[in-house]
Amino acid sequence: MKILICIKQVPDMESRFKINAAGTWYSDQDLAWRMNEYDEFAVEQAVKLREQLGEAEVVVLSVGPDKVKETMKKALAMGADRGVHIHDEASYEKDSFQIASAIAAYAGEQGFDAIFTGMQSQDRGSAQVGVLLAGLLGLPAVTTIVDFVCDGKTATVKRELEGGLKAVVKLPLPALFTCQLGLNTPRYPTLPNIMKAKKKELVSLPIADLLTAEAMTTTNLIRFPEKKGAGLILEGDISQLTEQLVAILKDKTAVLK
Amino acid sequence: MEFTREIYWNVGHGAGTLVPMYVLLLTALCILVWGSWQRIKIYRLGRELQRIDDLPRRVVEALYQVLAQLRVMRVKGAGTAHGLFFWGFFLLFVGTCLIVLQADVTDPLFDVKFLKGPFYLVFSLVLDIAGAIAIIMLAGLFVRRYLLKPPGLETRQEDAFIHVLLMVILLTGFVIEGARMAVTEIGTNLSLWSPVGLLFAKGLAGIGEDGQRALHAGLWWLHLLLALGFVAALPFTKLRHILTTSANYIFVDHGPKGGLVTLDMENEEVERFGTANLGDLTWKDIFDADACTLCKRCQDRCPAFATDKPLSPMKMINQLQEIAFDSPESSLTETVGQDEIWSCTTCRACQEICPAVIEHVPKFVDMRRNLVLMEGQFPGEEVMTAVDNTEVNGNPLGLAFAARGDWAEGLGIKALADDPDVDLLYFVGCYASFDKRNIKIARSFVTLCQAAGLKVGILGKEEKCCGEPVRKIGNEYLYQSLASENIERIQGYGVKQIVTTCPHCFNTLAKDYADLGLDVPVEHYTVFLDRLLDKGLLKLVMPQSFACSYHDSCYLGRYNDIYEAPRRLLSMVGGALAEMTKSRAESFCCGAGGGRILAEEKLGTRISESRVRMAAETGAPLLVSSCPFCLTMFEDGIKGAGFEETLASKDIAEILVECLPTG
Amino acid sequence: MKTLLIAESRQGKLLTGSYETLAFARQVGAEVTMFLVGSESDLPKFDGRLYLADYNEVGEYNPEEHLRLLLEVINKEKPQLVILSHSSYGWDLAPRIALALQAGQISEVVDFQGASMVVPACNAKLQRVVQTQKELTVITLQAGAFSLADEPSGVPTVEKLAVQVASKMEFIGYEEPEAGGVDLSKAEVIVSAGRGIGKPENLAMIESLAKALGGEYGASRPVVDSGWAEHNRQVGSTGQMVSPKLYVACGISGAIQHMAGMKKSEFIVAINTDRDAPIGEVADVLVVADLKQFLPALTTRLEG
Repeated sequence: MKILICIKQVPDMESRFKINAAGTWYSDQDLAWRMNEYDEFAVEQAVKLREQLGEAEVVVLSVGPDKVKETMKKALAMGADRGVHIHDEASYEKDSFQIASAIAAYAGEQGFDAIFTGMQSQDRGSAQVGVLLAGLLGLPAVTTIVDFVCDGKTATVKRELEGGLKAVVKLPLPALFTCQLGLNTPRYPTLPNIMKAKKKELVSLPIADLLTAEAMTTTNLIRFPEKKGAGLILEGDISQLTEQLVAILKDKTAVLK
Repeated sequence: MEFTREIYWNVGHGAGTLVPMYVLLLTALCILVWGSWQRIKIYRLGRELQRIDDLPRRVVEALYQVLAQLRVMRVKGAGTAHGLFFWGFFLLFVGTCLIVLQADVTDPLFDVKFLKGPFYLVFSLVLDIAGAIAIIMLAGLFVRRYLLKPPGLETRQEDAFIHVLLMVILLTGFVIEGARMAVTEIGTNLSLWSPVGLLFAKGLAGIGEDGQRALHAGLWWLHLLLALGFVAALPFTKLRHILTTSANYIFVDHGPKGGLVTLDMENEEVERFGTANLGDLTWKDIFDADACTLCKRCQDRCPAFATDKPLSPMKMINQLQEIAFDSPESSLTETVGQDEIWSCTTCRACQEICPAVIEHVPKFVDMRRNLVLMEGQFPGEEVMTAVDNTEVNGNPLGLAFAARGDWAEGLGIKALADDPDVDLLYFVGCYASFDKRNIKIARSFVTLCQAAGLKVGILGKEEKCCGEPVRKIGNEYLYQSLASENIERIQGYGVKQIVTTCPHCFNTLAKDYADLGLDVPVEHYTVFLDRLLDKGLLKLVMPQSFACSYHDSCYLGRYNDIYEAPRRLLSMVGGALAEMTKSRAESFCCGAGGGRILAEEKLGTRISESRVRMAAETGAPLLVSSCPFCLTMFEDGIKGAGFEETLASKDIAEILVECLPTG
Repeated sequence: MKTLLIAESRQGKLLTGSYETLAFARQVGAEVTMFLVGSESDLPKFDGRLYLADYNEVGEYNPEEHLRLLLEVINKEKPQLVILSHSSYGWDLAPRIALALQAGQISEVVDFQGASMVVPACNAKLQRVVQTQKELTVITLQAGAFSLADEPSGVPTVEKLAVQVASKMEFIGYEEPEAGGVDLSKAEVIVSAGRGIGKPENLAMIESLAKALGGEYGASRPVVDSGWAEHNRQVGSTGQMVSPKLYVACGISGAIQHMAGMKKSEFIVAINTDRDAPIGEVADVLVVADLKQFLPALTTRLEG
């Protein structure tokens, strides 16, 4: 059984963002980087599946500059067997379709039985790469899974829908799954595994070897959203704030009599 | 009458006495040695640890501590009783040795007798009094254990055995003396120098000389048997503490107080981290278990135990002993239990008071190291998140590292990256950098330094968490990674002096970082400001007197013995201190230490509320501390315990900054 | 400009979010055609052509068949823009359409600027302006970003589609969330707890304030995921969409999914120690204070 996990390195969302010089993406200065939260569930699920089946090869893949290898090492420390790094210093300039194409160019020959990705990335958040990748590979895809049961041939998953409703779907492998919060609790890598991860195979492939597709979309610019003018900010001593807010609520809403 | 007595009177000094006596002695010693060896074999199952360097000094120190019973007597009542009992028994033992020395060595071989004359008078009196005191103290301890029954004191069958054995030895000693004196000394001046013996002699007057002689001989042999039985029983009962507890004073840790072993992360051969099983412990850990007498002083002071958490330091040590000697295959972490292991706040109240100098805290941290590093386990998901945040953003709160220096806006200080030429580096710490309540303390401290004409620098966004909470929760790997980064930065800027407002940062940078190469003096701000005031470099005015109580933070007090500097600062600005009952070395933890600031307190009652109640009991409306964790816990505790109207909490820095002369 | 709107239904019932696509189309002044896998007995109200496939024949989860039917319709209608909601249905289906037609896809649109779409990035801290150079663009709309000005009305002209199933995937069934007695969508006042409450015990002060204001308490997703509140209290795109008269967000930073769930509230008050929290974007009033101090004070003031 061969399992693929596609992960992305993103900035920590608490960071204070600045716009880059070209004005089309955030600047990578003064940012703390980490694995995309949704991808953590993907890594955990892949490793869990291997533990359940007893034997499987788990490959972690990521597209980006050299520094994404740090994040890949975390996936290796969580249990992935080897890493494939698609090296692209300007990966942020590629759109979802190009990313998916590059991954498909690699994965197409590999014969993966199960592919796990996060349902979206925390920075771009377009939620496209997973489904596009499945389409390019001719695999069925189910998005937003919060439960996963598999016997090695068939998977029964639960999709999370609006309002807390879940849809139970069964499908044969090979297939692709995009993972949502609630699927599992990603493990904290143990120290022996962190040590072992340093020695696991991690190859870098230049993106030029894999990407032939043109972008489908372009980013004209990135900016800070306008602050709503009407927003009033109150600060100060608690009892003052209390009085102020009560006065505002009486004035602007019909809630207080 | 000559001031002496015939040794071996009535029982005979010939082979008929000496042979069986020495055979019994030899037997008892062999049993002692064999029994001890069985236990030593178990100690040796533990890993190596160097604790016998500079052995002569260690032994002298140990002899002094044991003979003076210093730690034992720190607790009045039972401690005083034990101390007196110890000296009584010890004197009797020395006396017996002197008798054997004269009777079987110096007299027969060199014809020298020293138990005579004035020396003998003093000898007799001292031993009589020693014996009487020993009996009274033993009786007192018996009453305490079996009638008063202090809560938490574990009483086992062997305790009864020991009480009876010792009492009978002591009593038979006096009956033997009385019987002898009834025949040989009654009515003489000499007898007045053995007053207790004289009482017994008078009591035995009625049975006549034959009776007295028969009683004397019989009890002499009984006393001998019991005494040698005592020696033989040593390794198999709590009585072993005479040897093990005393020896533990030889093996004390000479490193900095509160130090933990800095694991070697570079060594690729090492596959196990932390303690899960017997084989992971050091011989000293196992020996500690044998040094424990179940006195429960640690348990009495443990803040977790006091708030109904399942943790008891004494119980853990005892479980360690059970595993080592009864079921070595069992897992230590499973036997002790995760709830117990995670509940420790590393406050060191246990170690500070332990009369057997047992090292409880490092064992808990070692068990945590195993759980975290080998199993990836944490006390809760919120802790895993906090550890993850610390890894990604260098602070457990998960706030952007780039904003770490923002608190200093408007103070006119710079990061070292912009200007490394400073008088001191203020290592701010995570809470003072990001937590609104504690930012006030950081700003107050800088203002005070500036008032003293000092140029303060900070690392700003280059500062990372000192690593202390994650280290204490068990993540030695992340701690060393953070520490290395901090040390590299600090050394890179050629920093000459570091001051912190957090005792945890202080303790870690001043002591733990030394293992990783930091060699810069580090001070806690209370000591630093105290010195500035003393030298007249900082001037403060005293607006008016205010009542307050002062909480001794564990990492400032017990870990570093800093008790007076903060108090001086307070009194200098008018603080009228109402000391809590548990203060200084007996201070009661706020609950945030040991990495617990990262965790939710789900078991028992809140430690912070217990401490806040103690502060409220003093009647003072202000609880002062000098630690961001304590301040945070007290703010929560005051609300939780419902004291918002009557009690407020403040840090010394924010009080002092109000006392700067204006204009 | 011709648009194809993809409406959603579940077990034959039309999901009202479908009207958001209509709202967008009307705002850009485009021609509208709709596609729905649903039921004749619950059709969207609008005047225009509706391509309808019977949900009983298609099944509840069958993206391959939805795609096949859509390709038929798109081939016939030749729209320039295909519009879906950014929902568990939309984000699952849209990339499949885009790939099949070599179209560009833009997800979670909150606004448009001429031919470009505005979408959020980095947890709504940033915005991107994106466009495609393709003849056909597929877009998904952020939940609640567009709404009809008036009540929907009209009767569509229905054209039925022939269904061929043969899906590799088998729909087993739905799982309801745990039953709860509260329907936040009906509440007039909601006071919500976010991660900023710190610990589960502090939910009590949220509840007290809600009671003092005569309303219900809600929670953000992290609070529900941590088990501090029941799922039926969750406000957000995976919880409930609410539009009360007053929404008080306590210790909620303002993740997109949450904001999507409450931004249509009439009056929004946020209580947060962070002046720059994204919730400030939608709040009418942002009280910069520690909720642990402010809430009890406010509750006492309202009760007294």
